[in-house]
Amino acid sequence: MFLILRRGFATHSSLLCTSEKIVVPPLKMKINKSKVPKIREKDLEEKYITGWGPGGQAVNKTLNAVYLRHVPSGVWIKCHESRSLDRNRKTARKMLIEKLDLKINGEDSVQRQEERLASHKKNLKREKTRLKYEERRKEKENQSEADQENSSKKEDSLKNIPEEIDKK
Amino acid sequence: MALHLSRAVRRVAHFSGISGSRCFAAVASFSVNNNLLKTLFYNQRHENSDTVFFYTTKRNFSVLTNKKNVPRKYCRGFSSPATGIDTNSNVQCVLEAVHKILEDAEIPEAETCSRYLVSQVLGSTKQFAYKEHLQQKLDNAQVEELNRLVACRLARMPVQYLAGNWDFREITLQVRPPVFIPRPETEQLVDIVLDHLPSKTSQRLLEVGPGTGNICLSLLHENPDIQVTALERSKMAADLTKENAKLLNLDQRLEVIEMKVEANTTLPPNSDQTPQPVQYDALVSNPPYVLRKDLISLAPEIYVYEDLRALDGGAEGLDVILNILRLALKYVKPDGLIFLEVDPCHPHILPLHLEKQALPFKIDKVLKDFQDKERFLILSRSS
Repeated sequence: MFLILRRGFATHSSLLCTSEKIVVPPLKMKINKSKVPKIREKDLEEKYITGWGPGGQAVNKTLNAVYLRHVPSGVWIKCHESRSLDRNRKTARKMLIEKLDLKINGEDSVQRQEERLASHKKNLKREKTRLKYEERRKEKENQSEADQENSSKKEDSLKNIPEEIDKK
Repeated sequence: MALHLSRAVRRVAHFSGISGSRCFAAVASFSVNNNLLKTLFYNQRHENSDTVFFYTTKRNFSVLTNKKNVPRKYCRGFSSPATGIDTNSNVQCVLEAVHKILEDAEIPEAETCSRYLVSQVLGSTKQFAYKEHLQQKLDNAQVEELNRLVACRLARMPVQYLAGNWDFREITLQVRPPVFIPRPETEQLVDIVLDHLPSKTSQRLLEVGPGTGNICLSLLHENPDIQVTALERSKMAADLTKENAKLLNLDQRLEVIEMKVEANTTLPPNSDQTPQPVQYDALVSNPPYVLRKDLISLAPEIYVYEDLRALDGGAEGLDVILNILRLALKYVKPDGLIFLEVDPCHPHILPLHLEKQALPFKIDKVLKDFQDKERFLILSRSS
């Protein structure tokens, strides 16, 4: 991945002198999800914050926080994002898999891959913007040089005129 | 928030004092005279005790509040103990104050409730939304709203009704009294139904007692191939189901019929005028299944504010369930399944009743809820 970045840099710096538009092809990086751990329901310990009593229609409680623990690894998650218990259970399982992935796979986990991809895209964008302003700056310099030449030529032509009139 | 005060009035006037909770609301009926109301007001202001809701005659109202010529339907309001919440304290202090008030009044789940109420006045439905505004001060409108919410909670109004809406699986439903609030166990029932329906074929489902519409709307939301016909006996619940369906854009595939399911019910004629009654592919219901003996020990949140017709299942909790099975005999296909949420004792007592009443159904599966209680039944026709 870093090699590609360097190549990109090299390409751009070699073409700095031209005023052609440089289009950077989109980077086709795919997130590798093959190492994401799979969890089994029987390895999970699930607790709902405080007991519910008899349950069912006879009870009306708002407690919907879910505490989920993966027994073999000891990783645990507490989820209370939604007011729906079912939704929290499903979100808790996703969060648990992400946390396990981070713990087991470290740098190869999906989260780290996504972070690297995001920072790489940011660097590319920054580089593209920098080059755009470089081009504009160069154009302005060329333009101002051309203007200076034109104005000096004009002065010369103005100097010639009185002699001709005098001659007349 | 439309408080169905007249219903609450009758119920609380009947049950007040039984709960034993110090801050149980004293609700004055509209026919009571001045003196009772004045006494309640006096006690409330000077002894800082209960919240008083009132819905009274124009004359009583003008005596109590010094407001003259108020139309009858607005002669209602409440008077509650001072909370001490004002615009000078930041959200952190306000939260602690609310928590203390609810805890002192022995309101269950005081901590969670205080978080929900404070987050609600700050404009969010999430419990922990207040954390982003800890040093902020509330404005006058927010303080007034919070005082109103705390007073209603002190009167044991459920937090879901105070919020006006609640999440159910992937959707958010409007809730209001006295329509039955969806319970978390019912979320599993939707999973069970979805697992047993064949995929990618259009199915017609019959639901009995949608209430807020939680089951049918979740099914419609998560499976685009189903159509549901829901039968609801309460006009308020039927209206709420239709309102939720419209808000979720699911009203095209849902038909709500206002009718009560009894022993010999027949469905109204089909809207497309076909003579044969529709045979549904499956039936799903969370019927009233609470046993009469358990109805007495319900929390005030339930027996004051929720429609008890959505809970009362008769002596053994099976009255409505048996009527639903009689309906299924007529309108569900012979190979169709019936999904029910029941009381944990029903898997054991239902087979006997089915035999006694000669209903040709058998229990295929009994499934447990997240509390490990036998909560769900799948029934099919026994030949």
